[in-house]
Amino acid sequence: MKERLDRLTENLDFTLLFAVVFICFYGLLVLYSSTRLAATGESDPYFFVKKQSLWALLGFILLTIIIFFDYHNLERYSKVIYFGAIILLIMVISTGRTTYGARRWLAIGPFDFQPSEFAKIALIAFLADFLSKNKPKLDNFFYYLLPFAYTGLLILLVFMQPDLGTSLVYLAILIIMLFVAGIKIKFLAFTFLAALSSIPVLWTFLKDYQKNRLILFLNPNLDPLGGGYNVIQSRIAIGSGGFLGNGIFSGLQSQLNFLPAQHTDFIFSVIGEELGFVGTILLLGLYAVILWRGIKIALEARDLLGSLLAAGAVAFLFFHIVVNIGMAMGMLPATGLPLPFLSYGGSFMISNLIVIGILLNVELHKTN
Amino acid sequence: MRESSTVPEDVKQRLNWLSIFIVICFSVLVISLWYLQMIKGEEFKERAVENCIRSLVEDAPRGRIYDHQGKLLVTNRPAVVVSIIPAEVDDLEKLSEKLSKIIGISPEEISQTVKNYRENPFKPVKILDDCKTNKIVEIEERKDELKGVVLETKPRRDYLYHDFAAHSLGYVGEIDKEELQRFSNPKFQGGDIIGKAGLEKYYDDILRGEKGGKEVEVDALGQEIATLLYQRPIPGKDLVLTIDRDLQLYGENLLYDKKGSIVVSDPNSGEILALVNRPSFNPNIFANGISSSDWQRLSTDADYPLTNRSVQGVYPPGSIFKVVTAIAALEEGITDRKRKIYCSGSLELAGQVFTCWKETGHGSLSIVDAIAHSCNIYFYTLGKDLGIERFNKYMQKFGLGEKTGIDLPAEAIGIIPSAQWKEREVKEIWFPGDTINLSIGQGYLLLTPLQVHNLIAAIATEGEIYRLHLVKKIISADGKTVKEIKPEIYKKVDFSLDTIKIIKEGLRQTILKGTGWRANIKELAVAGKTGTAQNPQGETHAWFIGFAPYENPEICITVFLENGGEGGEAAAPIARAMLEKYFNIKN
Repeated sequence: MKERLDRLTENLDFTLLFAVVFICFYGLLVLYSSTRLAATGESDPYFFVKKQSLWALLGFILLTIIIFFDYHNLERYSKVIYFGAIILLIMVISTGRTTYGARRWLAIGPFDFQPSEFAKIALIAFLADFLSKNKPKLDNFFYYLLPFAYTGLLILLVFMQPDLGTSLVYLAILIIMLFVAGIKIKFLAFTFLAALSSIPVLWTFLKDYQKNRLILFLNPNLDPLGGGYNVIQSRIAIGSGGFLGNGIFSGLQSQLNFLPAQHTDFIFSVIGEELGFVGTILLLGLYAVILWRGIKIALEARDLLGSLLAAGAVAFLFFHIVVNIGMAMGMLPATGLPLPFLSYGGSFMISNLIVIGILLNVELHKTN
Repeated sequence: MRESSTVPEDVKQRLNWLSIFIVICFSVLVISLWYLQMIKGEEFKERAVENCIRSLVEDAPRGRIYDHQGKLLVTNRPAVVVSIIPAEVDDLEKLSEKLSKIIGISPEEISQTVKNYRENPFKPVKILDDCKTNKIVEIEERKDELKGVVLETKPRRDYLYHDFAAHSLGYVGEIDKEELQRFSNPKFQGGDIIGKAGLEKYYDDILRGEKGGKEVEVDALGQEIATLLYQRPIPGKDLVLTIDRDLQLYGENLLYDKKGSIVVSDPNSGEILALVNRPSFNPNIFANGISSSDWQRLSTDADYPLTNRSVQGVYPPGSIFKVVTAIAALEEGITDRKRKIYCSGSLELAGQVFTCWKETGHGSLSIVDAIAHSCNIYFYTLGKDLGIERFNKYMQKFGLGEKTGIDLPAEAIGIIPSAQWKEREVKEIWFPGDTINLSIGQGYLLLTPLQVHNLIAAIATEGEIYRLHLVKKIISADGKTVKEIKPEIYKKVDFSLDTIKIIKEGLRQTILKGTGWRANIKELAVAGKTGTAQNPQGETHAWFIGFAPYENPEICITVFLENGGEGGEAAAPIARAMLEKYFNIKN
C-alpha cells in the first residue's frame, strides 16, 4: 500500500487533475449564473448547482476508485463491459423514460441515468482492448471492418432512441482510435468516401426534426422563430460579450432566460456573454491543457492498450468540446451534444470524470 | 525505476498527427471567437441591447361553425391585447404608473405581471386582454411615452348566440401545463388557444389551423421599420353542423327554466337536428380567459350548467324501457300479440308485492294495450319469465352500456346491471326482484338520453341505428368541402318484422289513447312512449321518446326533464311543441 501511494504521488498527473478541478468550479459558477433565476418552480437558486455538485462529487469518487485498478484488467473484462452496455441500451429502448419524444433515460431507484453516456466509456475500453490485441491483423481490410460492426451496433441502438448526437460521438471515438491504432490511411479514406456516397440513403432514415436541424444549420434564417432561433440568439449572446463580457450574473440574454437550454447545450453562450473573450479563451485554455496532458499520457503509456485508452479518452472529450462550441457559434449543426464539465447533467458529468480517471490510471501505470 | 514504453512508433506518429489536428481545430475556434466577440462584438451588443429584431407570432383564425343551412353560429372577432415587451422597458415602475392611468389596472399588478414572466424577454407579456377602443386610441396617441408597450390584434372566439347549444359547441381556452405535456408536440406553446370542451375540443385539430409569424426590425421606440420574414398563418377549417338553428333555439326556449335535454335526430342518417341541454352557460366568458369568480360560480352551481346532460348525464329511464322488455319477450316467445295478462293493481312475485301505477288495476290487457297504458304488472310478468341473462343480450343489441360514438368528448356509458355487475359492484347476488325492477326501467339501470334516443331510432327505422353525429361537413377557409360525413350504421338490430310491428302499434296507441295523449297532433301521426322514473334525487324524472310520421318516420325525439314530474304531463307536451315546430304545424 505504501508503495502504491508513493507511486501515486510520483506518477499522478497533478497538472491534469488541477485543470479538471478548476474547470469543474468554473462550470458550477456559470451554472449558478444561468440557473439562479430559472423558472423551474424551484425557489432555491442553488437547486441546479447543488445537484450538479453532488454529481461531480460522485464522479470524483468514481475517478478515485478507477485510479486504483490496473487498466490491464480490461484484457479480461472488455467484452463483458461491451455487452453490458448493449443490454442497457436495449433496456432503454424497451422500457426507458420518454422526454421530448425520445427515450434516453433509465431509472435506478430515484435516479435517472443515461446509459448512452456510459456506453461511450464502454466503447473506449472495448476498442482499446480489441485494437491492441489485433493490431497486426488490422492491415487486412476485413479485419478492419470488425470494429465498425461492433460500434455500429451501439450506434444503431442509440439512433433508435433517437439520439443523433450521441451516435456521432461513437463514430468519432471509433475513427480517432482507429487512426491512432495505425490503420492504413487508404482504408480510412475509402470508408470516408463510402460514407459520403451513402448520405442520400441515410437521409431517409433521419427523423423530421433531425432533417430540420441539418437544413436549419445550413440556413438558420429560414426559420428564425423556430429551430434556427437558438443558433441566432446564441451567436448574439456570445458576440455581445465582447472582450470582457457583461460581467457574471449580468448577461442580458441569459439572465432574462432568453437563451434556450442555456444550462445544458448552450451554456457556452452564457460564458461568452457574461465573461467575454477572456472567459471563453480561459475555458479553451483549460480544455487545451486537459487534451495536451491526454496526448502526453498516450505517448508515454506503458503499452499499446494504455495508449489507445488515453487516445479514446481524448477523442471523447475533444469531439464534445469542438462540436458543442462550434454549435454555439453557429459553425456546426445543433446536434445537442453537451459541453464537458460544464453542461448541466448527471450522467454526462460522471462519465467525463470517469474518462479523466482512465487517463490518470494510464499515467499511473506507465512504469512498473 | 523506469521501463521503456512498448507503444509502437507508428502509433506515436499518429498521436502526433492527432495533436496537430486538435491544435488546428482549437485555432479555428479561437479565431472564430475573436471574430465574433472582438470584431463583431459591438455590432452584436447593439443587436442585443437595442433589440432591433423582434419576433411576433400571428395566430391562425379558428374555423367557424355553421348550422346545417349555413347560418353562422360561431366566429372570430378581432380583440386588441395590451402587452409589454420586458426587454424594451427602461423603467418598469414609471411605465406601469403611466399605463395604469389609461387602462385602470393598478401599477403594482402591471409591474408584478412583467416581473413574474421569465421566458423570452422579447416576447410580449399580456397585461390587458380585449382592450376597449377609447383606451386603444389613447395608448396609440401616447406611444412615445410608453416605450415597451405594444398593441396586438388577436382573433377572439365569438359565440354569436351566447348560451345557445353551448354544450355541443363547447368552448376554447389557453392550453394548460398538463395539456402541453400530454401533447408534447412542438407545435403547441404556452398561451395557445385550444378547444377545451364540446365540438371545439373534439374537432380541435380541424378548427385550429396553423400559427404563422414574422420577424420585424424595430427602432428604439419599438416602431416596425421592416418585415424581414413573414409566414402567413393557415386558417382553421370550418364546420357545418347537422343542427338546425331555429329548432335548437325553439327547444332551448321550451326548456328555458327547466333542467333536462331534448334530442331530435333524423333516424335515417343519425344527423342531430337539435341537442338541447339546460341549464346552459355562455362560452364567451371562457374565450377571454374565464375569471376565477365566474369559474367558481359555474363549477359549483348545484344545477351543473356545464354538464352536457344528454351525453354525460346518466339517469334511470323508467317506463320508456318497457319497449326493450317488450321486444325481448316477443323475440323470446314469452308473449305474443294475443297473450293477455290481468292487472289487478298489484302482483306478488318472488315473495314481494309489486304494484302498478294505477292502483285500481288495468284489467285484462294485450301487449299493445300494455304499452299504451304503460301497465307495470304486464311487464313485471314478462321480466320474471325473461331472466337477467336474456335481458342483457337484448340491451347489448341496442348498444346500451356503450358509447353511442357521437362526435363529442367525454361521453358516459351508463350502467347496465347484470348478475356479474352486481356481484362486483354491490357485492350481492342478483335477486329475481332485481329483474322485475329492471323490466320497468328502474333499479340499477342508468342510461344517457342519447342511448335512450337510439332505442326509438331503432324502432323508427325498423332495425337500423345510425351513428348520432353533429357535424355534416368540413369546409376549408376558401369554401371548398374537405370532408362530408356520411351516414354510418352504428347497430343493426335483427328483430322480426312482427315484433317491430307490434311495438310500433303499441307506441301509436300510446299517443292515441294512452299515457302519451298530450303529444297527439291532429295533422300528424305521432308514435311514442312516456316514462316517469323514480330516483334517489327527489321528484321523478319525466321522459318522452317518439317519432313521426308514423309511416316513414322523418325524425325521432327524446325529451328528458330532470326531476320534471310525470312523463305524460311534463315531457309529452314539449315533444308535441317540438314536432309542431319541425313539421311547421300551426294551432
